[in-house]
Amino acid sequence: MSAALEIRALSFRYDDGRAALDGVSFAVEAGECVGLLGPNGAGKSTLLLHLNGILPERLPDGAAVFVGGMALNPENLPSIRQRVGLMFQQSDDQLFCPTVWEDVAFGPRQMGLLKEELGERVRSCLARVNLAGFEHRRPHQLSQGEKRRVCLAGVLACEPGVLVLDEPTSDLDPRGRREFKALLASIPATKIIATHDLELVVELCPRSLLLDGGKLVADGPTVELLADEALMLRHGLEKPHILQHRHPHAKMPLD
Amino acid sequence: MHVGLLESYQPRRSLVHRLPAGVKLGLAVGWVLGLVALPRGWGLPVVGGIGGAALVGLGTVAVLSRLRIGFLLKRLLLLEPFVFGVAALSLWQPHGWEAFWHAVVRSTLCLAALVLLAATTPFSEMIRVLREWRVPALLLTTLTLMDRYLFVLVEESGRMQRARMSRTFGRRSRRSVWQGLAETLGQLFVRSVARAERIYAAMCARGWKG
Repeated sequence: MSAALEIRALSFRYDDGRAALDGVSFAVEAGECVGLLGPNGAGKSTLLLHLNGILPERLPDGAAVFVGGMALNPENLPSIRQRVGLMFQQSDDQLFCPTVWEDVAFGPRQMGLLKEELGERVRSCLARVNLAGFEHRRPHQLSQGEKRRVCLAGVLACEPGVLVLDEPTSDLDPRGRREFKALLASIPATKIIATHDLELVVELCPRSLLLDGGKLVADGPTVELLADEALMLRHGLEKPHILQHRHPHAKMPLD
Repeated sequence: MHVGLLESYQPRRSLVHRLPAGVKLGLAVGWVLGLVALPRGWGLPVVGGIGGAALVGLGTVAVLSRLRIGFLLKRLLLLEPFVFGVAALSLWQPHGWEAFWHAVVRSTLCLAALVLLAATTPFSEMIRVLREWRVPALLLTTLTLMDRYLFVLVEESGRMQRARMSRTFGRRSRRSVWQGLAETLGQLFVRSVARAERIYAAMCARGWKG
């Protein structure tokens, strides 16, 4: 069986010649939850944008991204975008519809869902993120936490097999963060989470990737990676408090 | 400018609010077309008469809609500078003053009807009706995005303005005020372009093919 997501020697340069990604390769099995770590400017967001073909603007001949064994090429692009749900860093960029209902309905509508089926999909996705009754609210009337959850509902509405999240908790207060974490934990899809929230990674992701300067510098069990203080400091990160007093070989620290 | 001022729809329980959006939009479009089609040759008394009658009609609708008249007038007043600006151009024509008043009366009546429409009909409802009327999808997408991001932009410009004020000390010359405004606008434009790209990416990520 092929991996849920596989990246083979992915490189990318911006128009101004800066290298953003340099020969990144990894594979993620179905159902895995993987943390993507790295300092600012490491290329995390750029990598995520490659996972459903937002970047590069022109897809090259040789594919570097494979989703469920399917190569990401212009022909497969629509079905790959449906399989890989991308949640962006800023909720305001992602909530582009006038009401919550419209926004959650956007993806399924592109997939051709209509009327009752569409209504049912939107209703169930909003219920799943605990926002039933928010259908007619307008995005600017929502709190940050609510915005985040609407974003998630909008992505879940496309029923993706792989969920890709860019800094999902960066602008949330502790309660919002806790709720969002619980929500993520309840979703069975394969997940890739780029974040600076190391506690979230420790709690949700058994495995992590460490990206720096566009290169994949480490790939392994989260707890081992984060407990390696020298490695963390070398790449602009810190050993999280949650691991400060724990044995590095303890499996999951919050069991 | 704060966000509240942008929110044109005012939810109320009234006869006018309950009227189907399609009917209201149809009446408003008919109203505007009718006013535009009025011949120019009529003298001021006739124009005044028509204007007065129309004003009574609009006033009745406004009362029926249970909106605060002050709110409606404030919105209308906000738009009047544009009316006068455009109307002033006709002063250069022969019979300038007559043309000027024609333009002012007509445009004000049109805008008053549109202010009423916007206050009693949610924007998303209007878009839905326009979609049923087969208005090109691209235009509707543009309108929808405009409605959504107007709020974001106003908030963003507010934040930038506050940040600027918090590091502005002492008296400011008029020149520096204008310079600040110009810089804010420029920044806002650059940020909007960057944001537009991110929104487009977000749309593509959820299957947009347009």
